[in-house]
Amino acid sequence: MFSFTKEQKILEISNTKIGGQPGLYPTVLFGGIFFKGEPDFETAEKYLNNMLNLSKRTGNPAIPDFFIRKEEYIEKITNFIERVLPKSQPFSIDVTDPQVKLRILECLHEKNLLSRTIYNSIHVGITDEEREALTKYTPEMAIIVAFNPKDKSPDGKIEVLENGAHLTDIGLLDISKNLGIKKILIDTAALAPGDNTGAAIAAIPVIKEEYGLPTGCAIHNVVEKSKWLYDFEYARKTVDASSNVNISLFGGDFAIFGPIGSADIVFPTVAWQDILISEYIENYFGISPDESHPRRKLF
Amino acid sequence: MELMYGYFNGEEVSWDKYIQYAVSDMVNAGLDIVSDGQTRDPFVQIFTRKLAGCRIRARTEIVDKVEYNAPITLKDQKYARNLIPDDKGLTGVLTGPYTLSKSCINLYYNDEKDLAFDFAHALKQEAKVLQKHVDMISIDEPFFSNETPDYGKELIETITKDIYCPTRLHACGNVSDIIPELLEMPVDILSHEFKASPQIFDVFKEYTFPQKICLGSVRSDNTRVESVEEIMEHTKKGMEIFGEKIVQLAPDCGQRLLPRNVAFQKLKNLVKVGERING
Repeated sequence: MFSFTKEQKILEISNTKIGGQPGLYPTVLFGGIFFKGEPDFETAEKYLNNMLNLSKRTGNPAIPDFFIRKEEYIEKITNFIERVLPKSQPFSIDVTDPQVKLRILECLHEKNLLSRTIYNSIHVGITDEEREALTKYTPEMAIIVAFNPKDKSPDGKIEVLENGAHLTDIGLLDISKNLGIKKILIDTAALAPGDNTGAAIAAIPVIKEEYGLPTGCAIHNVVEKSKWLYDFEYARKTVDASSNVNISLFGGDFAIFGPIGSADIVFPTVAWQDILISEYIENYFGISPDESHPRRKLF
Repeated sequence: MELMYGYFNGEEVSWDKYIQYAVSDMVNAGLDIVSDGQTRDPFVQIFTRKLAGCRIRARTEIVDKVEYNAPITLKDQKYARNLIPDDKGLTGVLTGPYTLSKSCINLYYNDEKDLAFDFAHALKQEAKVLQKHVDMISIDEPFFSNETPDYGKELIETITKDIYCPTRLHACGNVSDIIPELLEMPVDILSHEFKASPQIFDVFKEYTFPQKICLGSVRSDNTRVESVEEIMEHTKKGMEIFGEKIVQLAPDCGQRLLPRNVAFQKLKNLVKVGERING
């Protein structure tokens, strides 16, 4: 439990604050929707309302992370966002298909949703077409995934942010700024077990101290890709949820915790960790938790 | 986007495809000796990324004593070896210790010379490993053409001493002013940019020396493809001065900055000249 010497930026999207010194704001939790198969909107709505309710109870802001796999889902999912999400609720879009990326940005613009959009994500695979689309339809906030295929250590993650590790023409931070994206979150790129996974956690304080930007990761990726943990089915969900406490313990600001169905266990687990951190941080560094902090809900 | 595939799917990112592109172009152009193409990283980071004491930022920063951890280029060399026919040779390329020391931001050593020698000792370890798998080890020292330190020979000797495979020193740019120093270098072959800096012919012919010559014959900084006739004329000039000492024709320097088709055509024309000369 510590405080950074570098000034920590606090970014805001549609009334949700993210970043700052440890202990100030609660960890923001991203829950994924529509990972597999045809989008099931009825089930998704139930999970979504449950997550938003958990967010109210714990104080940890919730961000639904919409996984959009096919172009044909764009209209349906954005309609769902318009219909179901509260008007002040930010959300993120998680897209890998380059063609879908271009179309979804245009659609979010047409529906006037870009001011609530967190673009997940900018990385070394960014294409010229994607840059063009992001310049034209710029989301309010974006996540940069600091994945460096040459070097998975914290240094490698810094390198890709700084100069693109010679895989992109300039660093990912400069790319994002040049696109006009003013609010940037850094995802430290958690990988598969055995692939320097601890580096994603270790990189959090390194990157926050270097840039002062809100930082976190999807440590859930490691659990998801672990075959070994499938031998412990009962423990797997607990391990999955509790992995996220490493993020706040290392000073991180957000966790992309995997399927939204895990929210029931993730929200109280992370809220509890935030409370522990806040107690110490306030005593030692004098940083009082924000009014929204889970610790305020405890008393 | 391909680079992200491993991230999204939890698989290790492979550089094999890029090595394959480079090696196949060199083989298809007809070269007798090829390299792995150094596709993985710029020539400084390939080494500093794997050496202890180095921290990669916009430039490499030296934050602790530089030491050898484990083989750096061996995996790529072995892969390249598997790609080439048995009658082709393989060059292991090391970025020289002086160039590495001058390319980094030194935050640890009080004396730059100590840094250069620690790089040299680390590269020696790499050379010892590589010699079992390659046919020649080439040391790139582009910074020698800016300034060759008085300990330059000692640096190169640190690497080449007791290495049993042939060694080559490549110093690019106009090396006219440092030819006496280069001739002192304990290597088997000297490699220079004779095409871009033809004035170095005139200086070389003033000396006798034991090393063989790798004659830079097509420019690496220019997209114009030299014709076979032009390369032949250049080579004949070289042969008039160096005679049998010329054992290799090569591009002046690395072709990283050239479009792939231009680089390939330059190599093809170079090979045609070699074939004409060798009959």
